[in-house]
Amino acid sequence: MSKVEVTLGGHTFEIEINLNQRGDHDLPVMVNGQAMLVTVPDLDAPIDQMEWIIVDQRPHEIVIDPDLRWLRDHTGVHFVEVRDLEARVARPVSRDGRIKAPIPGQIKTVLAVEGDRVEAGQPLFILEAMKMENEIHAPKSGVVSQIRVQPGQDVLLREVLAEIS
Amino acid sequence: MGNIMFKKILIANRGEIAVRIIRTCRDMGIATVALYEAADRGSLHVRLADECVLLESAQGYLDTAAILKIAQATGAEAIHPGYGFLAENIEFIAACQQTGIVFIGPPLAVMLAQHSKIEVLDRVQAAGFPTVQYSTGTFAVTDSDTIRAAADRLGYPVVIKSTRGGRGRGAYTAQSAGQIDRALRRAQIEAQIVYGSTDFYLEKLITPAHMIGVQVLADHQGQVVHLGEREGSLTRGNQKMMEEAPAPCLSAEQREQLWQTAVAIVRLIGFRGVGTIEFMGDLDGHFGFTEIKPRIQIEHAVTEMISSVDLVREQIRLAAGEALSFTQAEVRLQGHAISCRITAQDPWRHYMPSPGTLRRVRLPTGHGVRVDTYAYSGCEVPAQYDPIIAKVIAWGPDRSECVRRLQRALSEIALIGVATTLPIQQLIAHHPEFLQAEYNTDSLRRDMPEDALPEHHARDLAIAAAIAYARRNLAGQPSVPDRLQSGWHRTSRRLPE
Repeated sequence: MSKVEVTLGGHTFEIEINLNQRGDHDLPVMVNGQAMLVTVPDLDAPIDQMEWIIVDQRPHEIVIDPDLRWLRDHTGVHFVEVRDLEARVARPVSRDGRIKAPIPGQIKTVLAVEGDRVEAGQPLFILEAMKMENEIHAPKSGVVSQIRVQPGQDVLLREVLAEIS
Repeated sequence: MGNIMFKKILIANRGEIAVRIIRTCRDMGIATVALYEAADRGSLHVRLADECVLLESAQGYLDTAAILKIAQATGAEAIHPGYGFLAENIEFIAACQQTGIVFIGPPLAVMLAQHSKIEVLDRVQAAGFPTVQYSTGTFAVTDSDTIRAAADRLGYPVVIKSTRGGRGRGAYTAQSAGQIDRALRRAQIEAQIVYGSTDFYLEKLITPAHMIGVQVLADHQGQVVHLGEREGSLTRGNQKMMEEAPAPCLSAEQREQLWQTAVAIVRLIGFRGVGTIEFMGDLDGHFGFTEIKPRIQIEHAVTEMISSVDLVREQIRLAAGEALSFTQAEVRLQGHAISCRITAQDPWRHYMPSPGTLRRVRLPTGHGVRVDTYAYSGCEVPAQYDPIIAKVIAWGPDRSECVRRLQRALSEIALIGVATTLPIQQLIAHHPEFLQAEYNTDSLRRDMPEDALPEHHARDLAIAAAIAYARRNLAGQPSVPDRLQSGWHRTSRRLPE
C-alpha cells in the first residue's frame, strides 16, 4: 500500500497504489478517490528508469529520473514532486562524517591533512573524471580524523576518501 | 604527396568521432585501424574497425611514438586524429611527416603558421578585419602580476585562454580582479589535463554574445570554399550544448559578410584543409574574429546536413592531395539543422561527470534525423574520457520544422544507466526563447519556465510517477537516497547553474 501526492504540470493528484492487489499486467489505482485500472506491461521487469503504462487507451512510455525530480515523455521534460503521505516523520540527514567518492575517478589533489579543522563546504579533494576537475567538499564542519587516499590514486564509486569527526 | 587515395587509415581517437570517421572510411572503401586503451576494450569504434590495436602505455591515446609504430606495422598510410587528443599537436604532426605518414589535417607548415592564436589575431587585425579585444603576448601561469595588469588594461570581464585551447577547455572567466587567481588556477589545471600545456593569453569577454563559426575548406591548388556558418551560443561552462546552421541571429547581409571575411582570413593565413573560422559578436551584431579551428569540430554534422558534404571525406581527400571536388558556385545550402551534444553529466548535480554502464539504449531515427554516437545497450561510458555520448541532429526544410523534428527525436531517445544532459536539451528544445530563436550565451543561466499540461495528461504521468515510487520502495531502492528523507520530496524546479 502506498499513498502519495504527486504535483506535476500545474496539477496535484492524490494517488493510492497497492502493488499486492495486481493482475498479471493490470494495477488498480485510486486517483483523487476515484478507482481506475492501469495497464502496466512491465510490472515484473526489474526496476529501471523506464516505466511503460497504458491509461484509458493512451500509451505512456516514460523515463524517470532515479531521484524522481523529473520525468520525460513525448511531450518533453516535466518536473515532478512526490509527497509520501505515509512518511509522517522527517528522518534527519545521516550524521555520518565519512566522505565518499561521488563518482569513480582519480584523486588529483588532497587539500587537507589529518587533524585539520575544516568548515562545511570547504574543498578537500580534487577528483578528476571525464577530463574534468571536480571539487569534493566537506559535508560538515569538524576535524579530519582520517584521510584514506593520496594524489594519483584511482578511486571507486562510494569509496571512502576521508572521515570528519 | 601523390594523388592516390589511401588504402588504410589509422584513427587516433575514440568515442563518437572515431565511429563517425570509420563510417566515412567504409563508405570510401578505405580500411581502418582502431586504437584502444584497456578501458575501451568493448567500445564501438573498436568493434567497427577492420583492425584494432591495444595501446599499452599509460599515455594511451596520447602515446605518439606507439601510435606511429602501430601505423607503420599495420601499413596505414594516413592518421586521422579526430578532435582533441593529437588533433593540434605540432610535435605529432612533425613526427608523422618524418615517418612518411600523412596527417589528416592541415600540413605542418600551415599548422605552424597558425599555431599561435595571438599571432593569428595580430595578422587578422593588421589586415583590417575586426577581431575580439585581446592581450598582447602570452603569459606563463606563474606571471599572475603581469596577467592582472593585462586584465586591468583590457577591462573586465576577461577570459583566460590557453594558447593551445579549443573545445571550450582550458578557458576560464574572471568577472573582476578578485577572480583572476582562481580562474588562473582552474585554467592551468584543465589546460594541463587536456593539452599538457600552460601558456595563456587574455581575451575580453563579450557577454551576452553570439558565437559563430564559418566552415571552410581549402585545397593545395589555392581554391577556398565555405559551407556557411553555425551558431553555438547555447553554452554551459564554455561547452556548447546545442548548435545550429544557419545561425538564426544573422541578417542576410551579416551572414554574407562573415562568409567573405572567413574566406579572406583563410587566404591571409594560407590555411589549407578543413577548418572553422570563429567569430564572436555582441547583441548589436558587431562580430570580431576569435580563432581558427584547424580540425573537424564536434558540431560539424549540422553543416553536413545543410550542405550534403561529408566533411571527413573532404578532409581525407584534401590530405591525399586531391583538389576540392566542388566550387563555391556549386555549394547549395538547404534547410536548417540543429545538433544536441548529449554528455554523461548530471545537470542536477552541478554537471558532475556520470560514467557507468548504459543498460538500455534506444536511438531516434526517421527522416531528417541523424545520431552520431558510440552508445549501444550494455556499453561502458568510461570515466577516463570526455563525457560526450551522442550527438542528435535534426534537419528540416526550415527552422520551425527542424525544431519540431528535434523535439520528436529527443523524445524518442533513451539512454538509461548514466545521468545525461538530455533532459536539459529537451527543455531547451521546448523553451519559448529557443522556439523564437532569441537566445545568446546568457540564455542557459535563466530558469526554465513552468510547464502546464492538460489535466488528463498530467494525471497519467502522475500515476506513472506514483507507480515508480511504489515499486522502488518495495524493492528497497527508495528514490530519495541520501538526503533529507521527509514527507516532501525535494524539488528541482530551479535549474542548477
